[in-house]
Amino acid sequence: MQIYLPIAEISVNIFLLLGLGLGIGFLSGMFGVGGGFLMTPLLIFIGIPPAVAVSTEANQIVASSSSGALAHWRRKTLDIKMGLLLLVGGASGSIAGVQLFSFLRSLGQIDLIISLCYVGFLGIIGGLMFIESVGAVLRRNRARHASQPVSKRRKRRLIDRLPFKTRFPASGLYLSVIPPIIIGFFVGTLAAIMGVGGGFIMVPAMIYILRMPTSVVVGTSLFQILFVTALTTFLQSAQNQTVDIVLALLLIVGGVIGAQFGARAGRHVKAEELRIALALMVLAVCTKLGWDLVATPADLFAILPLREGGH
Amino acid sequence: MITALAAAILLQGQPALDIEPQSTPRVVAALSQEVVEIRSDFAGAEIILFGAVTNMQAEDDLVIVVRGPEADLRVMRKERTFGIWINRAPVRFEDVPSYYSVASTRPLSDVGGFSALRREGIGLQHLRLSAPESERTEIRLGVEVTVSEIGEDIIEYRDAISRNRRRDALFAETTTGVQMLEGGLFRANVALPPATPVGDYEADVYLFRNGNAVAAGTVTLEVRKAGLERVIYNFAHTHGWLYGLVAVALALLFGWGAAAIFSRR
Repeated sequence: MQIYLPIAEISVNIFLLLGLGLGIGFLSGMFGVGGGFLMTPLLIFIGIPPAVAVSTEANQIVASSSSGALAHWRRKTLDIKMGLLLLVGGASGSIAGVQLFSFLRSLGQIDLIISLCYVGFLGIIGGLMFIESVGAVLRRNRARHASQPVSKRRKRRLIDRLPFKTRFPASGLYLSVIPPIIIGFFVGTLAAIMGVGGGFIMVPAMIYILRMPTSVVVGTSLFQILFVTALTTFLQSAQNQTVDIVLALLLIVGGVIGAQFGARAGRHVKAEELRIALALMVLAVCTKLGWDLVATPADLFAILPLREGGH
Repeated sequence: MITALAAAILLQGQPALDIEPQSTPRVVAALSQEVVEIRSDFAGAEIILFGAVTNMQAEDDLVIVVRGPEADLRVMRKERTFGIWINRAPVRFEDVPSYYSVASTRPLSDVGGFSALRREGIGLQHLRLSAPESERTEIRLGVEVTVSEIGEDIIEYRDAISRNRRRDALFAETTTGVQMLEGGLFRANVALPPATPVGDYEADVYLFRNGNAVAAGTVTLEVRKAGLERVIYNFAHTHGWLYGLVAVALALLFGWGAAAIFSRR
């Protein structure tokens, strides 16, 4: 059954969209990833204009991150002070990202930049995940728990020398406010351009750069993602009119149901093997996008409308 | 439709009784649908253009041209840079019809002369695709001619527009599209693909005799979004801020709602 999407202005099979939502939702529930980095490229593959795919995906992430953020809020497993600082950076990053998005679109280069960002990030994330999960499987098979005691002693790093230090009681840190703002800004910009929540960058950055305790990392990240994607949705709607509410709702319905089943399934399966599968999927999407950039296109000319939606 | 056809014949029956019986042919045309509505289940539409020609002679031909709303376009050529294909060399085209289809009783080259087709912009070969920013006028041998600053390349750019639009069935040319019935009646199918843009369309019916258009008739068609599609589209474009708030609110509602429903089980 075809459904005409009012903003994307194309006709798409409704079950394909619900299925995509369910499938990606299932994966995100199982692995605890947002899924935006898989959904946006898939939407582009099925013919949704990249500008609409990115903005609409931000809207879907609002829904998928909201239930998790609420749960962490109730359990108090988040660092609100850190979250607010990340949010300050994230909000400005989102505003900058939406401006950059409009500018690149006016140059006719937005599709290229989206693809390049994806190839870069999917390649890195997929590669690291693959190496890490293969390593985990090998270690488990050798059944050797070579648990090296991790050195708790912290070296004094560049980050510790920055000014404007403040205490973060929830994380037990005494840290400059600059790194969280910069990280938030970077992730907010990516969210606007790539249509992702940015958890896959935020979580490692919080653990390895900010050295936050893992107990508050996921909650804080979700808190920031929820607000930044909400702001991105709002700004893209106001400035570029690229949020397709019908597409978003179909993806959300599939996504929230899929995520619940994914979370249940995730408790009963071997995590490492599935992480390998996810890593391979991420690498496959990366390869497809990369191939499209270098392969000689079927048509060497691109036709771009000058007044977007100016009917 | 049959009654409409009958009415058309009746109307046209009048001038046939007038004093000048042979000389001035006339064309009247109508559409099976004057408004095409794009709703959530829109997957293209087919409408019928029909009408009658008076004083039609055996060798006469009919050509039907349907033109959609015009818009400006930017055409860019992809060039390989560091192994990656990047959009380069933009050329701005103005007032390009978003939909353009031609149907005729015979191949266009048999129907009309080059200049007659060019003048009316009939056929994909003769459709005017102008890029004023890349053009300048020169006087050559005392005649004012339009010269493109990118030279022969402009032809490739024009071809690219036509190729791109034909791929989506937005541009089309059929030499057998017009069906002649008895007594100067004709009909043709106008196919509107799923990608049909909204706006005002114009269908021109030309009667060609000895290579020249001797009569023409015009009907208009409107393609518009309807129902919920229209409401959402208008809302997004007139109240973007509010639309964004609604989109966020709906997402929160679904996210928390699903969590509440599933945690209760």
